[in-house]
Amino acid sequence: MISIPASLPTPAPWVVAKFGGTSVATRERWEAIRRIAAAHRAAGRRVLLVVSALSGVTDLLKSITEAGPDEAHCRAVQATLIERHHALVRALELPASTALEYWLAELDRLIADPRRTRAALDWQAAVFALGELMSSTLGAAFLTAGGLKTQWLDARDYLRAMPLANQGDWARHLSASVPVQPDPELPEALAALGEVFITQGFIARNEAGETVLLGRGGSDTSAGCFGALLKAACVEIWTDVPGMFSANPRCVPQARLLTGLGYEEAQEIATTGAKVLHPRALGPLRRAGVPLAIKDTNRPHLAGTEIRAAASDAAPCVKAISLKKGVTLVSMETVGMWQQVGFLADVFGEFKRHGLSVDLIGSAETNVTVSLDASENLVNSDVLSALAADLARICRVKVIAPCAAITLVGRGMRSLLHRLSGVLAEFGTLDVHMISQSSNNLNLTFVIDEALADELVPRLHALLIRADALRVEDGAVFGPSWRELAGEAPADAPPPWWRRQREALLLLAAQASPRYVYSTTAVRGQAHALKALDAVDRWHYALKANPHPDILRVLHAEGFGFECVSLAELTAVRELLPELPAERLLFTPNFAPRAEYAAALAAGARVTLDALHPLTHWGEDFAGREIHLRLDLGIGRGHHDKVRTGGDGSKFGLALEDVEAFRELARRHDARIVGLHAHLGSGILDAGHWRSVYLQLAALAEGFRRVESLNVGGGLGVPSRPDEQGLDLAALGAGLAEVKAAYPRFALWMEPGRFLVADAGVLLARVTQTKRKGGVRYVGVDAGMNSLLRPALYDAWHAIVNLSRLDEAPAAMVQVVGPICESGDVLGANRRLPECREGDVLLIAQAGAYGASMASRYNLREPASEVVLP
Amino acid sequence: MNLPDPRSARAFHFVARSFAGGVANLVYAFDDGPELVERISFPSAPGAPAAGSDALEAALDLLHWIAGISYYKAGVPAGMRMRTTQPDAATASFLDALYLHGLGEFAYRNQLDLRGRIRFPAAGASAAGDAQSAPARRAGAAGRELDTARVSAAPDAAALARQRTLVPIGGGKDSLVSVEILKAAGADATAVWVGNSPLIAACARRTGLPMLNIGRELSPILFEYNRLGAYNGHIPVTAINSAILVVAAVLHGFDAIAFSNERSASSATLEYAGQPVNHQWSKGWAFEQAFHALVKSHVAPALDYYSLLRPLSELAVAERFARASRYDTVFSSCNRNFRILGPRPADRWCGQCPKCHFVFLALAPFMPKPRLLGIFGRNLLDDAALAPAFDALLEYRDHKPFECVGEGVESRAAMAALAARAEWREDALVARFAEQIAPQLAGQVPSLDALLQADGPHHVPAFLRSHVLAFR
Repeated sequence: MISIPASLPTPAPWVVAKFGGTSVATRERWEAIRRIAAAHRAAGRRVLLVVSALSGVTDLLKSITEAGPDEAHCRAVQATLIERHHALVRALELPASTALEYWLAELDRLIADPRRTRAALDWQAAVFALGELMSSTLGAAFLTAGGLKTQWLDARDYLRAMPLANQGDWARHLSASVPVQPDPELPEALAALGEVFITQGFIARNEAGETVLLGRGGSDTSAGCFGALLKAACVEIWTDVPGMFSANPRCVPQARLLTGLGYEEAQEIATTGAKVLHPRALGPLRRAGVPLAIKDTNRPHLAGTEIRAAASDAAPCVKAISLKKGVTLVSMETVGMWQQVGFLADVFGEFKRHGLSVDLIGSAETNVTVSLDASENLVNSDVLSALAADLARICRVKVIAPCAAITLVGRGMRSLLHRLSGVLAEFGTLDVHMISQSSNNLNLTFVIDEALADELVPRLHALLIRADALRVEDGAVFGPSWRELAGEAPADAPPPWWRRQREALLLLAAQASPRYVYSTTAVRGQAHALKALDAVDRWHYALKANPHPDILRVLHAEGFGFECVSLAELTAVRELLPELPAERLLFTPNFAPRAEYAAALAAGARVTLDALHPLTHWGEDFAGREIHLRLDLGIGRGHHDKVRTGGDGSKFGLALEDVEAFRELARRHDARIVGLHAHLGSGILDAGHWRSVYLQLAALAEGFRRVESLNVGGGLGVPSRPDEQGLDLAALGAGLAEVKAAYPRFALWMEPGRFLVADAGVLLARVTQTKRKGGVRYVGVDAGMNSLLRPALYDAWHAIVNLSRLDEAPAAMVQVVGPICESGDVLGANRRLPECREGDVLLIAQAGAYGASMASRYNLREPASEVVLP
Repeated sequence: MNLPDPRSARAFHFVARSFAGGVANLVYAFDDGPELVERISFPSAPGAPAAGSDALEAALDLLHWIAGISYYKAGVPAGMRMRTTQPDAATASFLDALYLHGLGEFAYRNQLDLRGRIRFPAAGASAAGDAQSAPARRAGAAGRELDTARVSAAPDAAALARQRTLVPIGGGKDSLVSVEILKAAGADATAVWVGNSPLIAACARRTGLPMLNIGRELSPILFEYNRLGAYNGHIPVTAINSAILVVAAVLHGFDAIAFSNERSASSATLEYAGQPVNHQWSKGWAFEQAFHALVKSHVAPALDYYSLLRPLSELAVAERFARASRYDTVFSSCNRNFRILGPRPADRWCGQCPKCHFVFLALAPFMPKPRLLGIFGRNLLDDAALAPAFDALLEYRDHKPFECVGEGVESRAAMAALAARAEWREDALVARFAEQIAPQLAGQVPSLDALLQADGPHHVPAFLRSHVLAFR
């Protein structure tokens, strides 16, 4: 039972706390509300609770407003509503409530009301209002019964809606606006009534005394209005999430909690996609200077997100990346619109006439493009068609949809542009329909095809962190990640093998430099991790990553087959492992000459084709043979566009539209298609990727009678930076198992390369010279891009340490460069290392994959030699 | 397993069929090869007729003969042997036609000529006199000719309105239009589907109707045969499903089976060896007519098998579908078999098959553009790479694809309607149609309204006619 302290003084501060539908639907949740209210009360604050209808109730009421003449439906819904609320009365152990029965009787009257058949707007608002009126009534009774005396207030007595210019009838009743400013008399008047209050979100009264609604997210708006009216110390929005995040956590588990935001930024994030707070709640609070906090009902101890006036000297920084789907673009083209006086006025006049509100605007000499947000109106009425027809009289119109608007939000966006080059490169292969940046300097928006958005946002989020544009180390703004909050963050990774073998490595470096060193133990460890995934029937090592014989032997012993992309690779494996059955060898080349295919077939390897050309021109070579078909499923994935292997811009794979032609050729030449293959990119850390590839291949393969295996490729990513999360193998396994269960007919194959060997290899190099140029310091080493090409080729990031001074504190920021005559011969930019001296041994980590195998004798410098540790 | 090649078999055998515990086992074999057993599981039916009831036995016989087509086609041997009851002459000639036309596309693809090859042994006409013609025996009118006209003693309209109807759900727009018509008419309908597609199940749930799900397991040996290079290809799956539903109707006491095949299902895709080849033959009028009559004469005189959408064009069905948005987020007409459902449009629409293309085009004139694009998750008509695919639908320089898609004139009319619409006409393929294709099709593009009129023969029961035939 709650202890009740002595009564509060009249000028005690106010807190407005808002609870949504799921937060008021069960006894457990109401107990949480009681604890929160009592805690405020105990801390000497008056509390106004603003509540929504029980979850699902507004939808039920909506179906009554849409039922038209169908009274039977209304009565059925009425019965459901009665049972819903009576069930909660029972759960709350309340006596039969006359107040509740009053509202239920009101529902009965409203269903019988003749206004129902024409769905009159005032009638609709009255029907909708019942949800909040009933939930708040039950809440007042429950809290009071539990010893926290709670006054019930009718929100309509306090919130007065005013019509706006241009506001239609529909909006005046169902999406009304309530202008508010602090009312110094209200706190005092309420203080005379009690200390804890409960009222309804979503509803208000207009000047005619009719009930009106505040539209979508109306309960947030109500809380904002009450907060401003009372000039509360704080408005709390209690939800099921810990607050606002730097991205939608469902889509980006690495998204960080935003602990502190300015009103403008919060409003921008809420407007551009975040659903946790309705943006209309913020306006009244900003004007009244009342802070707003978003809090998690399940974890009330978390700080959540606090929104208040921004410090004017805060450094510019991206705070969040938002995504808004269902966007429609209207592109209007005319010749010389600037010479056409009033053209824009005419254009926008049409939007106004059709009741469509424009969001983004982009314009050029001959084109204006605007965006329309998703709305029921747009989807379910002919308004767009009518608009387009009217616009077509003054210009050429093109409707582009469905689009998604991806917005980077943060103060001072324009001063961050130079940091965004890597982020912007991500849009390079996509069709960006529009870019918009408003003069308030809070946003930068890209409009792209909707289908691309879900996968793009997590990558952009990671790139923003990498570019230091989203400065997650700033504790005043960024809290823990969603993943950490969900308790899913993996334990700290064990120290890498090379830390334990430092002495041995220093000895090896003293013998020869530069030098690659591989740990077969590390390779075995990765192989075991993969083999734990039961769904995969056959593993193949993509030996282009590192064809060192010792590594091939280790993986052979682990039961791996091999994926070869040239005849030379095939030959090398066969010579090294003569006992390996040839059918464990995949031959998956790209644009290889005819003779290589013939030789691979003769050797008994499994041959994969990825073009029409071989069957068209050399069909007889494949007669009676089993072949595999590599498909391009469309959009490529990967950490750099040079490692993306899907999409028209990639040379790999057969386009889906050519599949039928390929099958026809195969039939003609009696080649049997026994496997489908797709490999869309490299360095992928999203475990869901392969599930999606597998699913697409399986759905396609059902149309092929002889397909037995599906090869979903490799590309399993290895995190390089300290803030990157590793691939979640358990999630990968679960996703694959799910598809396997649905399509048991096909064996599942994979062909990882880098995942097995990247961390197992390091490159040791000796410092040759150091140099300072202006403010930039260079550390030269004897290994260059001829030994390790990845940084120059892919902008790959490799951790670099000074192995000779492993325990010394980092000192200056340096550029680690090689001896090759190329300005791109930079192994690591902007690294903090201890003071480096000539002869020191630097260790470049994660060099086991695509290191030695890509090395060259450029400048006639011999690349690093290789040595293997057990 | 060491399997003989079914393509060198001498005969296809209807070995046995049984029914127990709600499961029908249909057994076939090539020569003396392994038994191919197909299992069809019906949900338990309280008060179902006991095995041995004439109607149930007749329905199971029919199912056994019709479902054999999946296996027969693996080898298409010259002989057919009945180790079970033998069809009567009328049923045998129905089956001959079903196998010949239903395998038309299959024959074309495999370069086979099946004419004269398929001959069901009929009771009385066979030398193997041990098997008796069961349906004829039960119908008590041996050798009776099939009556393709409607049964003379038609129940009155009030009785019809009370009839219990099975409405098969396919997950696509057509059956959902039927559902809405039946609901609007106040019919007592149950949504039924065969197999375990989660997409169909989701659609069935969305109908709000009572549901019936029938399991079907093909013999795994068929996949082995396929792997070894047996003949494979399209089979008339609607005929098999029809036969399954006749059994279900008898078991569960339904009076009607309302399929959702429309008018254009009757038109041929192309001609091969002087014979029209129709990808959807068993969805056509000829099959419906013959099967309707066969069910009445051989299984149950009061069981009404028909297609509710028969007098409608694909476009008319699309127009009706567009009237309600309740199925927007669950339905799919895509060819791919999506066994795992996801939330995104791409989890239901591949966007690459002719069905996706046609349904997109057919719906476009009838719904707001943002709604349609929301359903598909993309704008297929603004993708220039799809020009050849849409050309085939328009039957422009190409034949109609081997798919259940509308007639060329329907695609043309839809495209022409879009070309006149400001929100569509700048899209790549619509603009291309207006500039390059329409001028060459002068006079060959009917108006939308003409195609929306109900027309042609049908078996739609009287109490539903006004709901089906009403124009807009």
